[in-house]
Amino acid sequence: MTAVELAQTGSLPQKRKGAIHWWRSYTAMLRWEITNMRLLLPITILVQAISGAGIVLGFGLLIPAMEPATAKYLSTGAVVVTLILVGLVLGPQLVAQQRMSGSYDFMWSLPVPRTASSAAWLSLNTLIAVPGMVAALVAAALRYDIAFDISPGVVPAVLFTLITGTLLGYAIAHAIPNPEVTMVVSQVMIFVIFGFSPISFPAENLPGWIAGLHRYLPFEHMANTVRGSLVDGLATDIGHSYLVLSVWAVLATTITAAVLGRRG
Amino acid sequence: MSIENPAASSDGSWVFRADNVTKTYDNGKSFANDAISLEVHPGEVYGLLGPNGAGKTTLVKQVIGLLKPTSGSIMLGSFDLVDDPDVARQLCSYLPQAQMPIDSFKAHEAISVAGAIRGGPRTAVKERGEALIAALELDEWRDTLGARLSGGVRRLVGFIMTVVWPGRVVILDEPTNDVDPLRRRLMWEQIRMLGQEGSAVFLVTHNVMEAEKSVDRLAIINEGKLIAAGTPSSLKSDDSDRLRLQLMLSPGEPTPELPEVVIRHTRAGNNLITEIPEDAAAAGINWARHMITDGIAEEYALGATTLEDVYIRLTGDVASGRVR
Repeated sequence: MTAVELAQTGSLPQKRKGAIHWWRSYTAMLRWEITNMRLLLPITILVQAISGAGIVLGFGLLIPAMEPATAKYLSTGAVVVTLILVGLVLGPQLVAQQRMSGSYDFMWSLPVPRTASSAAWLSLNTLIAVPGMVAALVAAALRYDIAFDISPGVVPAVLFTLITGTLLGYAIAHAIPNPEVTMVVSQVMIFVIFGFSPISFPAENLPGWIAGLHRYLPFEHMANTVRGSLVDGLATDIGHSYLVLSVWAVLATTITAAVLGRRG
Repeated sequence: MSIENPAASSDGSWVFRADNVTKTYDNGKSFANDAISLEVHPGEVYGLLGPNGAGKTTLVKQVIGLLKPTSGSIMLGSFDLVDDPDVARQLCSYLPQAQMPIDSFKAHEAISVAGAIRGGPRTAVKERGEALIAALELDEWRDTLGARLSGGVRRLVGFIMTVVWPGRVVILDEPTNDVDPLRRRLMWEQIRMLGQEGSAVFLVTHNVMEAEKSVDRLAIINEGKLIAAGTPSSLKSDDSDRLRLQLMLSPGEPTPELPEVVIRHTRAGNNLITEIPEDAAAAGINWARHMITDGIAEEYALGATTLEDVYIRLTGDVASGRVR
């Protein structure tokens, strides 16, 4: 054939490793993920933006005459919900789909570091989540005539929230071999996050034991750090929240690494 | 063109060696692989044959690091592939049995991204990818989205994705599934070419006829055990003084009483395959003619024994079903 010939005879190459190999793997996997989502990417981003704005506007229907402080509290809550949902929904959906179509084995036989694949996945989630967050903020500013006090802290707050949410979703998806169970677990988590997490309401509103539980779960702390970076005076003890979130981010990363490195 | 391959060992040669690879499930109660040992050299096309569920895919998944052997070792040169699945994935490329997830990719994009993921330099991957597209006569689908490709073309694109920047070991699990006969031939040429370029090719298949023509050596796996290995001719040598006498029975006919010259027989549907000694050819033909006259059979064929006969003898499996 006329194909490019490969000089493969002779000894074996050395193992590829190090930062350059990681970076090349990351960019190649990101190219893969973005192309893979290409047909759905515009609509996914749009749906994300609409739901971000929608949640914010929906609060206005529940509470017609809203105080600016309440409006700020609720709309920053909406921002956090959109950030968490992307990671917890998209990952399980995609992995379940890969398992059902049989392409899961191919994806995990690729010669890239597991951390590079996970980082590519996280980047794609960020790309999808951020427009939803911006839409929620813009909708809130216009609808309730409020001004946000956006501080540089928004970057780490959003990143910690995305890392923890995305990687937890990813780890759950990979840890559960049955794709149907994965989807059910993902649905239950959405339900718990929407209904029973102190994101858009204070923890005091919950029964004592659930509020106690949330001191150790990441959701309340995601809300606290993101809220603290967007408005003044509504979040307290942000340092503590970062501490809890850091533990969760490390935990989510470790669990993901362990689950992805596992061989049956 | 040549790629840089900084040598890991200086002796200039390597070998793939699986040693007593055992994979059990249910706490050791069921054996998916039972002490499989084999050795493959660069340039060889090595067939792994066996009926469905024999353990072929389980074996290759352990090579590529998707499964971990319960015991045994898998070495590629001085690399321990069980201890280091990362290096296993770098040195081996894998075309799984399932179709590739390329719905949203144009054929040429899927190939170039796969090449980049495999660590190939951009221009070389592009050049080789285009050459493979031309060699497999896929030009008209070059810019078609995966979702719109037929099963066979998609399979071929998956094949190119696997070999556009191949590992030293290339594992192809039923590569020719869904592929039309013409392109099947082109694909085999490329598989042979991979060997010439220095890769070792593992070919997992249950298509014995196809394998007989294309592999250098093969192993037959049944119920998790390696039950025979060698070149196609060496495996047939036991049957060298025998002939295959095949009868197409009339629909609904039960298996007729067989003459004494028949050493062994199997039946798949209306197809009755018998083995007879070479010097009993005349008696065999006589009997077969008799069956046709009596309306029990519709036609017969006499020929040399094939690898399929050996395969049937060893596994009790006939292409589409069990031996009755």
